[in-house]
Amino acid sequence: MTDLGAAIKKKMLANQWSFLLIVVIILSVIAGTVNSRYFWLGNLSNLLGQISVLSLVACGATILIISGNFDISVGANIGLSSVVMAMLMRTGVFPPLAALVGVLIAIICASLIGGASILFQAPSFIISLAAIGVFQGIALFITQGTIQTIYGQFETLGGVKLFNVVPLLFLIALLGYGVMEFILTRTQLGRCVYAIGNNERAAYLAGINVSRRKMMFFAINGLFVGCAAMLLLSRVGAAQPSTGTGIELQAIGSVVIGGAPMSGGKGSVIGTFCGVLLWGVIGNALNMMRVNPYIQDVIIGLLIIFAVAVSSLRLRAEKAMME
Amino acid sequence: MEQNNRREILAIHDLRKTFGDTVALDNVNFNLYSGEVHCLVGENGAGKSTLIKILSGAEKADKGRIVAFGVEYSRLTPHQSLEMGITTIYQDVELVSSLTVADNIFLGHEIKTKFDLINYVAQNRLARELMDSMNIDIRETALVEDLSPAQQQTLQIVKALHINAKIMIMDEPTSSLGIEETKALMEIVRKLASQNIGVIYISHHLQEIFKIGDRITVLKDGQVVDTFDVRRTDLRTITKSMIGRDRSLFYDRGVFETGEVILQVRNLCRHGLFESVSFDLHRGEILGFGGVVGAGRSALMNVIFGADRRDTGDIILNGRAINADSPREVIDRGVAMIPEDRMVLGLFDLRSVLENIAIVTNETDGLILNHRQENAVVEELIKRLRIVTAGIRQAVGFLSGGNQQKAILARWLMTKARVFIFDEPTKGVDIGAKEQIYDLMLTLAKEGKSILMVSSDMPELLSVSHRIAVMREGRLVTTVYSKDVTERELLGYFLGIHDDGGDTK
Repeated sequence: MTDLGAAIKKKMLANQWSFLLIVVIILSVIAGTVNSRYFWLGNLSNLLGQISVLSLVACGATILIISGNFDISVGANIGLSSVVMAMLMRTGVFPPLAALVGVLIAIICASLIGGASILFQAPSFIISLAAIGVFQGIALFITQGTIQTIYGQFETLGGVKLFNVVPLLFLIALLGYGVMEFILTRTQLGRCVYAIGNNERAAYLAGINVSRRKMMFFAINGLFVGCAAMLLLSRVGAAQPSTGTGIELQAIGSVVIGGAPMSGGKGSVIGTFCGVLLWGVIGNALNMMRVNPYIQDVIIGLLIIFAVAVSSLRLRAEKAMME
Repeated sequence: MEQNNRREILAIHDLRKTFGDTVALDNVNFNLYSGEVHCLVGENGAGKSTLIKILSGAEKADKGRIVAFGVEYSRLTPHQSLEMGITTIYQDVELVSSLTVADNIFLGHEIKTKFDLINYVAQNRLARELMDSMNIDIRETALVEDLSPAQQQTLQIVKALHINAKIMIMDEPTSSLGIEETKALMEIVRKLASQNIGVIYISHHLQEIFKIGDRITVLKDGQVVDTFDVRRTDLRTITKSMIGRDRSLFYDRGVFETGEVILQVRNLCRHGLFESVSFDLHRGEILGFGGVVGAGRSALMNVIFGADRRDTGDIILNGRAINADSPREVIDRGVAMIPEDRMVLGLFDLRSVLENIAIVTNETDGLILNHRQENAVVEELIKRLRIVTAGIRQAVGFLSGGNQQKAILARWLMTKARVFIFDEPTKGVDIGAKEQIYDLMLTLAKEGKSILMVSSDMPELLSVSHRIAVMREGRLVTTVYSKDVTERELLGYFLGIHDDGGDTK
């Protein structure tokens, strides 16, 4: 192998995200060649808007996965909190206040999962799996299964674009990444995220109050999920109990593709960002290339498997060096 | 020599293995006769583990030849290796803990009835016969999870015997065993040799090697220093060749005085583990805790540190009682703990050296980290403890055992700890780092800090401690001044036999 090749390989091994970025660029070039409209500002602006909601959910998933926890009920949580927001707005509550109530509900829901997982010493994965039904059931009950439209009442967040290009949604998502990056790298709490995810027992013996910290991770996840629900409602202008379904898997997928092992202890915000970007770009590029929608799912699945395979090879190479 | 009528079953010629830029093994020659116990010694990182991995097929050599049972190989696969009867018994026991002893022995080649179901009756009978032939007293129907570590280790040997092992590689088999257990295991090893099995025995405990070995090969920095006949060499020669410099096996601690009582433990009790333990720890004192494994020493330390609850009793530090239900409060009172199993209880192996060292201090500092100040303090500690690392951002899992131990120590030096609990401070640590750790402990003591040290290493216990508290079956039976006691007397206390001149040397 040439020196350049070796250097690139080394770089790829060192940073999962630089590899993802390369994949994103290659995909973009292909899509742009097939359909020049891919690079039109309108499309790019649309793409950024599309990934904003997923971005916030993935940020929340980042703190949980690194700390060795999961919340797969975030989709149902978004469904519940967004219908509450919409219903309050429909009854005439001042929209920002309604949104705030919805965000609080999301925080409470997420904290309940954390609390139950700590109290019963049960894996949060299973607790949150069971919670999906609870949240969705409540949402269905209060809405009687109807869609809650709020056209015109709450569209500033979702509609405004800076310089007519950059959606406000995306700026909020960027802010979310910034906050999460700050928490993970600049605060005591962030150190605990990694420590607990890597070795919970050692963290306890190092004087960390593991239970209290875990509660905070879940609550922070709830905050991000609530904000995501708010953005989604503003963007779509309507909410229903099934809103948000499936987003939890995309979010967990983004974090893992971004280089965080499922077992926790490692991971970064930039990795998550690139994972989200990959997810958004694949969908958008395939649309632009007018690929049959059924085939799109197949290609998306295969690309994700490819990304995970590379990630796993990288971790193995690293482990081998540790021996 | 007896070796003349023994068959050479394994020979390694000019073996070389590199990992990236580091040469793990170079120009290694090694051979093994049937019925021989060939010991492999060397500091950590000398290449012992790499050599076994090549023999078991887990790694492939860059260069060199392996001749096993007359057949030459340039590399072995794990399958070939097993097929030939080369089995490795690792420190970490590889058994299925939810199955019985007999089930584990026959795992993968079960005895079947004519309906193709497992014939438990036959399996249990054969297991019994196999263990009886080795004088092993383990119930064949016991669950593996109920066995002691020593019994599990023994079971691994039985299992290897069952699949007709001809070469058995043992990697630190006694590192987690107590004294009588070690003795029993060594008898088994000798028995294996008498059945014409070739044993490659790796251990840090040189005394052990002199008891059971036929030959000793010393590895240093990936090269064979020499191979010695046990009967024609002595401890000093081996130690000298391992580290390349002459030194006494016993660390010279010098003499210094201790101060007032810092920690009082009164009638401390956790039922089933230890009963009514009382002792005092003075300022500047190193109080050793000796005894066989399972005597309750680690359990006692865990309770003092707040990691486990106590049933009754008082812990008084600087005149004030500690009533903690988590380590947090105990740490705030100035107690530090360096645990025995650092991988499981101490390290965050994926995280950087920096994070590993700063973790305890982070918890007491403000919400937002001061990266610059933290870096400076950690860099200083790395320099002071001479921790060998590629940088503060390197994952701690990449460091050697000794440097990992020093990183954990650095974590506590960064706090204002006044009482240090060391549980097996030099377990799995090479000789060079060992001495540095002793130096640090002594420095701490001279600074007026106090140390509780659990140790199963006799020279360590005798040469580092001021006093030694002996625990037996959950009770603190006696406390002796280390300068007034001999190794043999101490062993007598451990085992509960009065020194009658028996063979406890």
